Amino acid sequence: MTAMNASHATAVANTGDAPPQITTTSGYIAMVNLQAQIDGLEKRGAESRLSVAEETGLIELVALRGHILGRITDYELAEERAEELCRKNPNDGTAHLARARSRARFHRFDEALGDLDTAERLGANPEPVDRERATIFQAIGQFDEALARFRRAETSENEFACSGTLAVFYAEQGNPEQAEEFFEKSQRAYRGVSPIPLALLEFQRGHMWMAQGNRDRARSWFQKAVDRLPEFAPAQGHLAEVEALCSETDSAITRLIPLTTSSDDPDYTAALARILQAVGRVEEGTRWRTKATARYEELILRHRDAFVDHAAAFLLAQGGNPYRALELAQRNLEIRQTPRAKGLFERALRACETAAAAKPLFA
Amino acid sequence: MSDHASGPRAFADPVIDITDIYAFPSPERPGVLVLALNVFPFAGPTALFSDAVDYQFRLRPVTFSPAGDKSFAVGEKEVTITCRFAIPTKSKDGRLSSQQGTCCVSSGQSASFRVNDEQGGQSPGLRVFAGVRLDPFFFDGSRAVMTLMTGKLSFEKVGHATVFRQNVLSIIVELDNSLVTSASAGGPLFAVVGETVKPGTIQVRLERYGRPEIKNLLLWPKQFDSVNRDIEIRDLYNQEDAFNLANAYLSAYRSRMNGTLAFWDGLGGKTDWALGEHGTHPLTELLLRDFMVVDVSKPFSENSSYDTERALMKGTNNTTCGGRWFNDDTVDTYLTLLITAGNGPRISDGVDQATVPATRTFPYLAPPEQNPPPVKGPAVKT
Repeated sequence: MTAMNASHATAVANTGDAPPQITTTSGYIAMVNLQAQIDGLEKRGAESRLSVAEETGLIELVALRGHILGRITDYELAEERAEELCRKNPNDGTAHLARARSRARFHRFDEALGDLDTAERLGANPEPVDRERATIFQAIGQFDEALARFRRAETSENEFACSGTLAVFYAEQGNPEQAEEFFEKSQRAYRGVSPIPLALLEFQRGHMWMAQGNRDRARSWFQKAVDRLPEFAPAQGHLAEVEALCSETDSAITRLIPLTTSSDDPDYTAALARILQAVGRVEEGTRWRTKATARYEELILRHRDAFVDHAAAFLLAQGGNPYRALELAQRNLEIRQTPRAKGLFERALRACETAAAAKPLFA
Repeated sequence: MSDHASGPRAFADPVIDITDIYAFPSPERPGVLVLALNVFPFAGPTALFSDAVDYQFRLRPVTFSPAGDKSFAVGEKEVTITCRFAIPTKSKDGRLSSQQGTCCVSSGQSASFRVNDEQGGQSPGLRVFAGVRLDPFFFDGSRAVMTLMTGKLSFEKVGHATVFRQNVLSIIVELDNSLVTSASAGGPLFAVVGETVKPGTIQVRLERYGRPEIKNLLLWPKQFDSVNRDIEIRDLYNQEDAFNLANAYLSAYRSRMNGTLAFWDGLGGKTDWALGEHGTHPLTELLLRDFMVVDVSKPFSENSSYDTERALMKGTNNTTCGGRWFNDDTVDTYLTLLITAGNGPRISDGVDQATVPATRTFPYLAPPEQNPPPVKGPAVKT
């Protein structure tokens, strides 16, 4: 057993998380089939016009691929298709629901809520409309509203999805006990064979424990997500971060390097830069930091509200311009009054105060 | 649309979504039964079978019920044919191998094969092919939906096939009749069900299929149901044992089917199926027990689907093999049965053949379309 495997085994033993064995399709096959599903629908669209429902399905599959592989270009593709769908079907509620989802992905929350109102008025199925509305309310910090809608949507038919949603809600509220109850409930309710929904759930569980400062439990869940779906970029990226925190920097670097090419999300480049600099590989780290900076700035130009938080966090973590970080954090707080957004703003404010204090009065 | 996307769970994970099954005596080799199970509607040419699913056929001997109640009496002894697939492996030069599969008959025979190998795998009495093929199904699904939404028969003289030039993952099994008749101690009539199952200590039935368009045309529409108009019933139905429906939801299935069957009958302009007590449609009990029936003692026939069911309803013996051949326009036969009970001209959806009709030679189905169109997308700087 290698040193890394041994420490992982110990980490699992200490977490108290006995892994329930849910067999799913191999991650490799699942991703091949996700692409095959997209290819098939694209082909059908080329042969004859897809119905609104089919086009919506295709948009969601492309967005899912983007989420798993860390590809912002896929989110952009989904957004472009959703806009076109709405242009061609202005009186179809489902088209507006699809556009609401794609806009929400880029944190255009006001526009997304407007689309949901339109979707409702045009007679779209109220359940997914309300679910999406709840998700947006959660994202912008209207937690009571969000919870009321999540609770309303609970049925025994979709227990996996509903319990998973509530788990993430309570996780973001900083309530891990309640979140764990719902994570367990969701996992027990899963009856499918696709690894994707379970890997997403496992990732969210790890994310919660990371935020709680419990590295062992976070690592255990990120590892499960990665074992189930190796191409899952966010799970790989977060596992790398935990490894770095545990001083397993070689492993973290090895895990991050492929992500800097397979994904166009600068978070992985930024994480790699940070770790390289921390282990004294300053020149390499600086090169990656420059790349990350350029990519964040490009994304802020194109999708400002979606990337202000990550860009601000990057600048604060890597000794960048604190005033720019504050500007971005302020915009983030304007669009979403969540504890996390407030925390980021306060950190940026402190960084600016520190920078101002360190500056000599006279050059 | 035969059973394509037959429920929310199937749509979410198409590799378990059974689109069709077929059962027919081999046109090439008398004494051989051919079974086909197709999954993954609109599959791209690279699609693979899941390594976590059993793809299986279940066969049980049936007879016309001696009680004369227009139902099939199903025997207890069952023959199961199960196909399992592995994850493609990487060779030393980094290339991925083809997916491998194994087919096992409950009576002991088995054969291994490579996915997409047209020669298939063989062992005495058994031959198997699995791979991506052109979908052999043909039906104007969108006009069927329009019919359900408008309440008017909406098929056109020349229809548009929903799965035209689309691919599907197909498993085709040929087995000697003797493997089925001796193991089941019955025959020559057999009920055939296709299933996708999550194996394990507790098996979970993910989907099942007996006859075309039971779920999508009879169980999906909620608006004609006199009892439940807000339940999505298909996932529940899919999990049931076709040979042993549980009592828990039977009345819900009946209510749904009675309503929808009455709707289809009404499209003919007159009542061809007089409703019984409590609005029971004469076809409900027959179709509720959803399995295909094939007579292995009869020769191959091009157009024999629903023959055994029609014989049962008339109280006569079947004269053809029944079952379903790839090129059989089963849906027109089914629509005619539902709408006019055969009392009048044949109902047509305007689509009379698949993209490329099946041949009479194993593996029967045409190779897949290889070229999905390029994905349109924004120009992005890398």
